[in-house]
Amino acid sequence: MTVAGTGIAALPPGYRRIAFDRVASTNDEARRRAEGGAAEGLVVTGGIQTAGRGRQGRTWVSPAGNLHASFLLRPRVKPARAGEFGFGAAVAVAEAVERAAPVAGAKCKWPNDVLVRGSKIAGILLESRGTPETLDWLIAGIGINLAAAPEHTAWPAASVAALGGNPSVERALETLAGRLDHWYRLWLAEGFAPLRQGWLARAHALGETIRIKRNGDEREGKFAGLDPGGALVLELAGGRRETISYGEVVE
Amino acid sequence: MPPRTPVKAIDADAVRELAKLLDETGLTEIEYATGAFRVRVARQQTVVHEAAAPAAPAVAPPVSTPVAAPALVEKAYDATHPGAVKSPMVGTAYLAPEPGAPAFVAVGDRVKEGQTLLLVEAMKTFNEIKSPRAGTLRKVMIENQQPVEYGDVLMIID
Repeated sequence: MTVAGTGIAALPPGYRRIAFDRVASTNDEARRRAEGGAAEGLVVTGGIQTAGRGRQGRTWVSPAGNLHASFLLRPRVKPARAGEFGFGAAVAVAEAVERAAPVAGAKCKWPNDVLVRGSKIAGILLESRGTPETLDWLIAGIGINLAAAPEHTAWPAASVAALGGNPSVERALETLAGRLDHWYRLWLAEGFAPLRQGWLARAHALGETIRIKRNGDEREGKFAGLDPGGALVLELAGGRRETISYGEVVE
Repeated sequence: MPPRTPVKAIDADAVRELAKLLDETGLTEIEYATGAFRVRVARQQTVVHEAAAPAAPAVAPPVSTPVAAPALVEKAYDATHPGAVKSPMVGTAYLAPEPGAPAFVAVGDRVKEGQTLLLVEAMKTFNEIKSPRAGTLRKVMIENQQPVEYGDVLMIID
């Protein structure tokens, strides 16, 4: 439940929030504070993002009524393991979506997209900084289409409101923060295995034929699973297996 | 193919001249570039002599006798260099923060410890790699958006 009588999201112990009505980008704001020495558990939210970012300079449409939040974490892991948390974040987002909308079976598309009935309902942008040996911080930027979904997107988009759910930003933030913290603690305590399991239980197109695009090259095969580090295992015609650690699943 | 001039050809006169200048000026290091050649003379008794281009033009007559002092040390900017920055993960390397943006750093730049050198993306996580040391960016071993393996040398800084 939200903080008694306020309607404001209650956050797990150790988390604190800076809420903006308008912000250029919650990830950029969280990053600025991370570089300034902010402790982990900082949550930056924006009612509207005027320069919301996706991967590689893409725009993330961020109208009022949708959730835009960035979580600052400082896990003591090697930079090579930072990407593992994306799977936990995706499961947490799927859980938050299921709580808000009357749907079961929100799916995770490799590595960290969240789909409802085949449509993208949220976006996750993970950014980290460190030397090749040590990680300074990891920021999980999360956008959930609560009130509205963008139109004319490459992949079809959905919103909680259009699914007949409750589009309350504060309720969604509370669920999300709680679930994200759950998977974060599990990751720190037990490593990647439980996140991998949680993700596989919701995997989109597992066992099906998929196509993966990377650097202009496309390959097709059966989505056979995840390797112990989270790379996608693709079974090619003839049975040879390949592990894919970057690229886009395009179906 | 015309025969290639050996890239290790040494312009002894230039080195002597620079060594003399080093003494006269009291500087600890002089770097001089002409055409595809770059010569650095430093007071720690090392001379770095390298060809920046794969085929060196015949600007330097090869010498058969070693140059007297300072001692001459050939230094190759390759994967064994102690200033090699290695990839911490399997993924895709990006030299710029986003498509169309200028690169984080360029060859010849002075780099501060902790300065961002590049991004390595793995499983949609974008990892900014900081320089583990201060120095000059000598070589970029990869191209933008190139797939990299764990331990691949990305850049050389000394």
